[in-house]
This record gives sequence, C-alpha cells and structure tokens, in this order.
Amino acid sequence: MASTACFMIVSRTDIPIYEAELGSALKKEDAAQQHQFILHASLDIVQDLAWTTSAMFLKAIDRFNDLVVSVYVTAGHTRFMLLHDSRNEDGVKCFFQEVHELYIKILLNPLYLPGSRIASSHFDTKVRALARKYL
Amino acid sequence: MEPDVSIESMCTIRIAVIPIGQISPSLFREYASLLTVHSKIDLSSISSFYTEHQKSPFTHQPWDSGCLRFKFILGGSPPSPWEDFQSNRKILSVIGIFHCPSSPDLDSVNDQFSIVCKAYNSSLAQKCFGFCPGDEQLKDGNRRQDNLNLFPPADRRTLEMHMHNMMQDIAASLLMEFEKWVLKAESAGTIVKTPLDSQASLSSEEVIKAKKRRLGRAQKTIGDYCLLAGSPVDANAHYNTALELARLTGDFFWYAGALEGSVCALMMDRIGHRDPVLEDEVKYRYNSVIVHYRKSFTQDNSQRVSPVSFELEATLRLARFLCRREQAKDVVELLTNAADGAKSLIDATDRLVLYIEIARLYARLGYERKAAFFSRQVAQLYLQQDNRFAAVSALQVLAISTKAYRVESKASSARDSLPENGPSPVDGGKLNPNSIVSLFESQWSTLQMVVLREILQSAVRAGDPLAAWSAAARLLRSYYPLITPTGQNGLATALTNSAARLPSGTRSADPALPFIRLHSFPISPPEMDIVKRNSGKEDWWAGSAPSGPFIYTPFSKGDTDNNSKQELIWVVGEPVQVLVELANPCGFDLVVDSIYLSVPTGNFDAFPISVTLTSNSSKVIALSGIPTSVGPITVPGCIVHCFGVITEHLFRDVDNLLLGAAQGLVLSDPFRSSGSATLRNVSVPNVSVVSSLPLLVSHVVGGDGAVILYEGEIRDVCISLANAGTVPVEQAHISLSGKNQDAVISIAYENLKSALPLKPGAEITLPVTIRAWQHTTVDFDTAAGRSGGLGRQSKDGTSPMLMIHYAGPLGSNAESTAENTILPPGRRLVVPLNVCVSQGLSFVKARMLSMEIPANVGENLPKPPPLLDNVTESSSGSNRIERLVKKDPYRGTWGLRFLELELSNPTDVVFDISVSVQLENTTNEDNSTDQEPAEYGYPKTTIDRDSSARVLIPLEHFKLPVLDASFFIKEPLVDGTSSGRNSSFSEKHAKAELNACIKNLISRIKVRWESGRNNTGELNIKDAMRAALQTSVMDVLLPDPLTFAFRLARDGLEDDLQSSATEEGSVLAHDMTPMEVLVRNNTKELIKMNLSITCRDVAGENCLEGPNATVLWAGVLSGITLEVPPLQEIKHPFSLYFLVPGEYSLVAGSVINDANEILRARARSDSPTEPIFCQGPPVHVRVCGAP
Repeated sequence: MASTACFMIVSRTDIPIYEAELGSALKKEDAAQQHQFILHASLDIVQDLAWTTSAMFLKAIDRFNDLVVSVYVTAGHTRFMLLHDSRNEDGVKCFFQEVHELYIKILLNPLYLPGSRIASSHFDTKVRALARKYL
Repeated sequence: MEPDVSIESMCTIRIAVIPIGQISPSLFREYASLLTVHSKIDLSSISSFYTEHQKSPFTHQPWDSGCLRFKFILGGSPPSPWEDFQSNRKILSVIGIFHCPSSPDLDSVNDQFSIVCKAYNSSLAQKCFGFCPGDEQLKDGNRRQDNLNLFPPADRRTLEMHMHNMMQDIAASLLMEFEKWVLKAESAGTIVKTPLDSQASLSSEEVIKAKKRRLGRAQKTIGDYCLLAGSPVDANAHYNTALELARLTGDFFWYAGALEGSVCALMMDRIGHRDPVLEDEVKYRYNSVIVHYRKSFTQDNSQRVSPVSFELEATLRLARFLCRREQAKDVVELLTNAADGAKSLIDATDRLVLYIEIARLYARLGYERKAAFFSRQVAQLYLQQDNRFAAVSALQVLAISTKAYRVESKASSARDSLPENGPSPVDGGKLNPNSIVSLFESQWSTLQMVVLREILQSAVRAGDPLAAWSAAARLLRSYYPLITPTGQNGLATALTNSAARLPSGTRSADPALPFIRLHSFPISPPEMDIVKRNSGKEDWWAGSAPSGPFIYTPFSKGDTDNNSKQELIWVVGEPVQVLVELANPCGFDLVVDSIYLSVPTGNFDAFPISVTLTSNSSKVIALSGIPTSVGPITVPGCIVHCFGVITEHLFRDVDNLLLGAAQGLVLSDPFRSSGSATLRNVSVPNVSVVSSLPLLVSHVVGGDGAVILYEGEIRDVCISLANAGTVPVEQAHISLSGKNQDAVISIAYENLKSALPLKPGAEITLPVTIRAWQHTTVDFDTAAGRSGGLGRQSKDGTSPMLMIHYAGPLGSNAESTAENTILPPGRRLVVPLNVCVSQGLSFVKARMLSMEIPANVGENLPKPPPLLDNVTESSSGSNRIERLVKKDPYRGTWGLRFLELELSNPTDVVFDISVSVQLENTTNEDNSTDQEPAEYGYPKTTIDRDSSARVLIPLEHFKLPVLDASFFIKEPLVDGTSSGRNSSFSEKHAKAELNACIKNLISRIKVRWESGRNNTGELNIKDAMRAALQTSVMDVLLPDPLTFAFRLARDGLEDDLQSSATEEGSVLAHDMTPMEVLVRNNTKELIKMNLSITCRDVAGENCLEGPNATVLWAGVLSGITLEVPPLQEIKHPFSLYFLVPGEYSLVAGSVINDANEILRARARSDSPTEPIFCQGPPVHVRVCGAP
C-alpha cells in the first residue's frame, strides 16, 4: 500500500463529491489540504486530456513533487482522481475499475441526485477496502 | 533565475534606470515611463547618430529591417555572476534620472551619477536626464559637455520625442561600443568565466583544455554581442563556430548556451514568420539545450553553483514559446518538469521566480486552477519571508488565485462580470436540478477555507485591514458550519480588530453576518388599501385585482399572463414596512449596529434600526422607510453596519444558499434555528411608488370598541371619517361586505356625498343604522376576546364591514387623454362595524291557539266580511276596524286564532314588548291618500329579568273573503291542461302559495321591544311563527265555505237597525220565538246541502228531540235541502218555543252534497266519497222567564 494516497471523486460539474485520505502515512491536516490543492489543480489537465483518448483510465497525468495524480474518467465525465506516490499502475487501474462499479451502484440509487455528495458509509468502507487491496 | 525569460530576451540590451538625487518614487516612475515606451529602436533610425570608425564586424547587419531591443531595469540590479556567460545579463547602459527643482546643483548630480555608474562596470554608455530644469540650470546645462541632458518643460508628446532622440543616440553609441568590443575580442581574445569554472588552480591538463575552450567561449560571446547589435546572421555564424569548438572540447554548458543563442538568432532572423517547421526546429534545439545543461551538472560544484537554473530557464523559455492551447500537452510536460526542478534550486528566491513563471505560463494556457495552485505556492514562499512587503505580495498573489478557487471578493467579481447579466438560475421559481448544482460548482470547501485563511493571515501581516475584514467575512459567512465556535469567535475578533483600524463608514463588498432573507412585503393595512382606478368607469374600483389574502382567486378574470408577479403600490410620503428575517448561526452574540433597506433606485428614505441576535438565533424584523418620489422601487437587499463595516446583503444570495441547503448541496441552512425546514419561496412583488393619495381614517363616534347590542336591537352608529392625507377626496362610494350585511339598515350616503371633495384635514360623520343579528355563542366568545383590538379583528368575525372606495383628483391632463393616462389609484377603507351581539329576549316557543267566542242570538247579524267587489261598503270609515279584536258578542261569532309567543328574558334588564300588526289596506286603490297600512298596537308587555311572558297575537283580519279556487290555483298549470278545475292541482303550487301567504302574514306582524333608555329592537321570530303557522294556515287564512248565523225575527222585520242594548237578544220563555238561520255561501260555486238545526241546553242535551225535550219548534229543523248560490245568503225561518228559561245554544250544521275539490281540500277530507260536514259555531240564546 502506498504511503500517501488521496482519493477524490469529482463530479461532472467539478464538485468534489467524495474524498478519502487513504495513506498509511501519518495524517496531517496540512498534507490533506495540499493533496486537495494538487488534485484541484490537476483538473485543468484532465479536462484537456480526457478528450484525447477513448480510454477511461488516463494513467498518471500530473505530478507535483513526489506525488503522482492518476485519473479515471467515467462515461458521464465523473473523474476519479488518485494522488499517490507508488508506481503500481496496474493496481491503480484495478482500483479505479472496482470503484467505478461501486460508483455505478450509487448512481442507481433513485434517491441519489447525480452530482451531489456521496454520503454512503458503505461506499466509503468499500473504497477503503479496495485501496488496501490494490494500492 | 530571472523573471520573465523568453527566447527573445537573449537579444535585449539591459539598461539600468537609476534615480539620482532627491526624487519622489512616483515622479521617478513618471519620468521612467517616458523611457520605457522606447523599448525598440529601429536600426534605420539611428544611422544619423552612427559613425563607422572602423570596419564594422557586423557584416550582415540588416540596417533597413533590424532593430535594437532594450529592457529598462528601474532601480538597476546587482551584477550577475553569469553575465560573462550570457551577455544580455550585463547592464550595458546606465541612465540616470533627476528632478531639477530638487537637485539644483548640476555638478553634484554629475558626481552622484558617476558614482552610480562605477557600480556598473559593464556599462558601455551613460546618460543622465534632468527634468523640469530652471532657467539657470538650462543655461548651465547647455554649457556642459558631460552626460547630463536637460529636458525643458514641455508636454508629454514633446518630451517623448526628445526621449526618442536620446534613445537613438544611446542606441547608436551602444552599437559602436559593441563593434569596438567585438573587434577587440576577435583580435586579442577575451577571457570569460562562469561560476561553474572551478576556482581552484588548474592542473596542467585542465589549463590546456581551458585554452581550447576559451576560443569557443569567445565565439559564443561575440555571437551574443552580434545578437544584441541586432545582427542575427552574424550571430548565427559565430554561434556555429562556438558550437563546433564547444563540442570538441566537451564544454557542454557553453555548448548549450551557444545553442540557445543560435535559436534566438534563428528566431530573430525569421521574426514575424511562425510556422510548424520553425516550431519543430526550435523545440528540437531547445530539447537539446536542456539536455546539455543537464549534462553540464557536475557533482563537485553542486554545493556552490548549479546550472539547474539555466536548465529551468531554458525549459521556461521553450514553454513560453510553445505556450498555446494546441501545444498544451507539451507545455504541461515542460512545466511539470520545471516544477520538479524547484527542489534542486538552492536559492528560495529562485524558487519563487520559478513558481511565478510557471503560474504565469499556466494562466496563459488557460489553466486557471494550475495557475492558482502555483500562485498559492508563491504566496506560501512569500509568507515564509517574514516581512511586510512579502506579505503584501502574498496577499496580491492570493487575490489573483481566488477566482480559480471561487472565493473571490465580490468587489473583484463585480468588476469582472459586470457586462454579463445573465438570467439567474433561480428565476421564476423553476429550477433545474443541474442548474442548482452549478450554483455550487465551487464546493471545494477545504481549499476555499485554506485560501481564505491564508488571505486573512497575509492581510493581517501586510497591514491591510479591509482585505483582512473581507477575508474573515467571507470565511465566516460561507464556512461557519465547518468552523468551531472558538474559531468563529476568533474570526469575529479578527473582524472587530480589522474594523478598528479602518476609518468609520468603510464599505466592503463582501457581507459578513447576519444572513438576511426577505420575509414578506406586508400588504398595507385595510384602512390604507390601494385600489387601481379603472378609468372611464363609474365604479372605478370594480375589476381591479382583489387585494385580499388570496393571490389567486378562482373568480378573478382570466388575465393571468400579466399577473405572474404580484403588484405592490407604495405611496409617496407614507411609511412602509418590509419584513426581513435575520439569522445568526454562529456561536457568538451578534450586534448589528444598523440595518436598513437598500434601495438602489434612490427614491426611498430607509430608517435604520439596530438589532442584537443571540447565538444560533433568527429574528424577523420590520424595516421601514418612506418612498420619496414616484417611480418603480426595487429592494434587492439590506445595508448592514456590522463589525464596524458597512456591507450590502442581497436577498438573492441567501435564497441561492437556501436553495442549495434544501438540495443538500451546501453545508447548512443558516435559518435552521427559525424552525422552518421547508424552503420558503417569497415572491418579490413589483413595487411602484405613486404620488400622494388621500387617506381616510375612520373612528366610531363614542369609542372604537365594539357596540354591544341585544339581538334585534336597532341602533345608529356614527362613523367619523377624516382625510388624513394631503390630497382631497373627490370620489367616494360606500358598499357593504362581510357577514350579516342585512344587519345594516341604512347608511347616510348623502352625508358623504355632499361633503365631497373632502379637503385634507376635513372630517364628516356618517350615521349608520344597524340592527343586531341573531346571537350565537361562538360569536360572543370571540367578540369578547377581541373587543379590545382594532383593525382586522372583525374581518373574520361576524360583523359587517363598510367598504369605502375613495380617490383623489384625476391627473391634471386627464381631460385631454383620458384613455391613455394612468389614473392615480384610489383607496379602499374598510370600516368594520364592530358589533357585539349579546343575548336579548329569547324566544321559547310559539303555538297556535284557537278559541271560539260564542255569539248571542240577537236581531243583528254579524257583519259579513267585506267582499272584494263590495267596494262601496268597505270604503266607509265606520267599517274600519280600530282594534285588533273587536269583541261584540251580539254580532256573531268567529273562530279566533291566536299566535302565542312564549318569551323569556335571561338578561338582567327589563324588556317591554309591543306587538303591532300591519294591515294591508284593501282600499288603497281608490284612496290614494290613505297609503299607510293600518297598524294596530297592543299595550306593552313588560318582561322582568329572568322571567318569561307570553304574548298573544290575534290572527284575525287575515281571512280572505271568498273561498276560491284561485287561491289554490293562481296560475295555469304547467302541464297545459286547459282548465285545472277538476284536475287535481299541483301540490307544489299549493305549497308555494301557502308559503307565500305565510310569509306575507308573518311580515305584517312585528314584535318590538324596548329596554332601558335607548335600546329598542325587534324580535326576529319569523321562523318560529312560520313553524307555528305551517299546520294551521288554512284555518287562519281561508274562510269557511259556509257561515251560519241566527237572528231573531220577532217583529218580522228584517232590518237590523234596531239596536236596543239592554234587552237585545233576550228571549222569553213560553213564547213562540220566530228565528231565522242565515246560511252564507263563501265560495264561488253553488252549494247544495242538507241543513239541520239543533238546540242544546246547558248540559248539552238535545232539547228538540228525545223524551224530555224542553223546546218546542215549528218549521223544519232537519233535512232542509238548500241550494245556496255563490256568495249569497239564504234565510231559513223557523220558530222555537222554550219551555224552560235558561241558556241554550243553537247550532246549525249542514252536509254538503257533491262537494268539489276545493271544499274537500278545505275540509281536509281524504276520500272523495266522504260526506263533507260543515258546522257553524254554537250561538247562545238566553231565555228569560216570563215577567
């Protein structure tokens, strides 16, 4: 598992709808903020890059210092963004694919307004489990 | 690292611009701005200043198209250790600027300037410019031969032209210096060094290597000068040589430098032509440059100097060159690499410059968020430096980044988005979920809070209280749910501290607390209602929108298209109120120093009030003001003076926020504490102000409290109307509304009419007569509970209301174009007639009593009831009945019927009852003077408190004279049968007729009461009477078909004029008494019958027959067959001989043969075969003994 990883889901309208600090490293508030700043900045790159490829997994698209941003864009243009320092691309890809399935389940909930925050604790638990498995 | 590097910066000549002597910074900037416009001097323009001393080394100088580029460095800069490596880093010229009035001594200026110039030993040309010289100085300056130049005072254009000449001079002298330098370098060779070259003594091997390298480096430097001199072809030639030499000697650093120069030369040569081939070439060469810079990195001197900055600069140069949307991927790659390089930079300033450049390039690419990210990095680096200027810089940089993080101050966002005034997504109440989401697009609350906190921190450090206030306000307002109460308190303190350092009355664009939303626009109180005037109509108020509590009524007309928004009318000079709701969701008590309505249209005087909101509370307050001039008014928000700063709070912002809260998109609903979880959608009406209107105020004379009336009481209420406005009332109309409208008997409308126009201040009194209605217990309770209040209390009560529609004068030009002008609206005054009905006399029950007063047999006949056609008889005055019951025992008998009313008096006062009956005057056809129906009164009956009493109402004079079929069938039958005589008449008709009759009857009976001094009224007992009469109305109204009467026919006289009162009607015993029975047919049909007469004694025994008969008789007494023609009488004579004196009664009875329907109906016989028996009342005969 990566020592530092921050996972975010950003909606089509650029609103973060889910965020999770997945790293096993010591949690510091400053670092968490910095992670969000990096991911926020990467959206600029994603928005251009997403249209250049048909693949959903955009691989590592950005980096700052030692942290790499990997992005997965769903068909609905929801972006899964992972900030990590490992180079395990396959693991990241599997992680994204599994999270995508979870996300689709959330979307199927008729009470969920697409684009609003994902508050499901079940989703959170599953994502963290996936992170332990793949990252 | 240097800021603002680009490929072209290789060919710019640096000129230091230095202030000399006393000169204010602003003046220095102004003078310098004259210089900086001349950053490019064409070679063709300097030829006049240029003299070729030797043969120019720049053989390919493009004199016609080339130019020299300058970069002015204000204030100069320290010499760079790398200036040998890149000659464009050298300060090649120094320009001093001085302000003559503050530096009068030119010699000292000259001295100072030369001292300054000494610091720049690379400088090849020096000039010192003086501005605004005095006459003395000018004279002095003209004589001098040094570098001082004075600019006589002139306008800016002239000065710029002078400056242009000066720059051309400088350019020419620099060009000549370059030539000199290049010639010297070519011949003698020059030693150029960089910090990279080790300072340690060189080993022999290295010395040889250095000698070899020197040539290449010299060539590179010459190339640099060629570039600066604006000769790219020459430069390119020298660079090529240098590249060869450097490659041979493995001098990677210089190789990369020469390569960079060659790219610049290439660009210069192809200036203005940009094509993909060139781009690829540049990209290829620069990648090579970057690679070679990287190669030149050696471990041994990495501690001291590093070529990393050159690598990064080269990266940035390439990125800047490529910086276009199409190349975004490459640029991002380059910039990401550059950002990675930041770690290896030793100097913090270098890192700062690097981040600034990266941010600028990202911004140029349109990557706002990336730019904001690096701006924030820059700001953090600034904040690490612990001084005020760094903090100011940090604040400025952060302010730039706020837009990307969407926390920008309203002041800056208003500047940016002023032209676009797009429709807000909440328009019209229709909402698309997506558009709501887009309202909160920026929900990176963590980031936003961090950025705002950093802005606050840097603003505090930079000493910018307004920026600090604004940041704290934004932080508190938007993110209070994420901040602990302690943090909220801290922010509040920060706000107060910042405000303390601001001048009072400072305005900020960013509102802090409280949250304000529109609660409602209260509709004007009913006494000030405004009604649109409908021009050209007599009843101008009709058809105007109802200003009742319902916005939509199903009864309004179908013009819904323009009714989408509520209209509200305010009047100039009349105070109005708007209710707003304030909320303080934070954990501290909030003191709002003043709050008032913000009206940008300017025609409104708002009254400020101050409010204190406790923590986590909300409050609805009324903000008032006075409209000052006619026109539309918009109230978009409030102006709030809170935390020492004045801010404008817009309702729309909070509405959006609440919308988001309802959707779960924003953090929290600040109005949660007010308890209304649902989203309130207050429609903002279109408010318009109209000119002054009259204003009627009303009060009830004798106190505005409810008038307490007993049921049925009639009272005059005087309403005083006064015009409290400034405009006279010219039209007025009174109508009634509400419940119990029929309680108002009369309104003295003429009083009002005659008083028009009612001048301002005038007052009139309007008497209104009210009759109290039926008392209900509920009414009593509510009326008692509310009797103290005014206004609306009776709106939902049972009292009727007077609606007075009134209006001022028409517009001045109304007579010319009546249709087009908009009339000033009218007003409606609703005057509730506050009547509290208390229980009065209560009615217990009513019943019919019938009694028969037996008549005595005398010589007179009872007067037959007047016939309709017998006009002459009934018109005589003596015929009139003067009293209700005229009891004359000798005039025959009547079946009297009484209506007995039982009344009880539960109150604690005494009531006097008087009954009167109104008689229809049958004679009013020919006697027109006698119009008034006769009325007959009874003596008063007094009912004491808590007592009951019965009142008898004789129902006497209602009988119809003739029993007629027309009574039953007044109209032809609906089914069209030609004659309804034999057909059964419709029961429906009969019933309707009956009801009409009963109603008529009832309406003529009035029961009035009096109590105390001035309480009079009328009992409302119609229903009770109707119920009582329902069953026996036939008996009351209809005459019997046959009436019988007995008469003494003693003298054989048939006239009834004899009227001896004493012995009248007495019959002697033992005497043959001739008598007559008169049978009268009251129908219009011939009646055949069997008449029989019986006589009974006191005991009721039949005296005529049986074993002990005491009366002898002569004539026929039974089975007399008679035919009575319609409306005629028949006499039947007979004689009786009484044996025993005493009282006897004679009864005549008859069996009607072949009775028709009417008779049957009258007799209430069911079967058609049943004989109809008709009996007259008994008639008394007193038989006296023999004298």
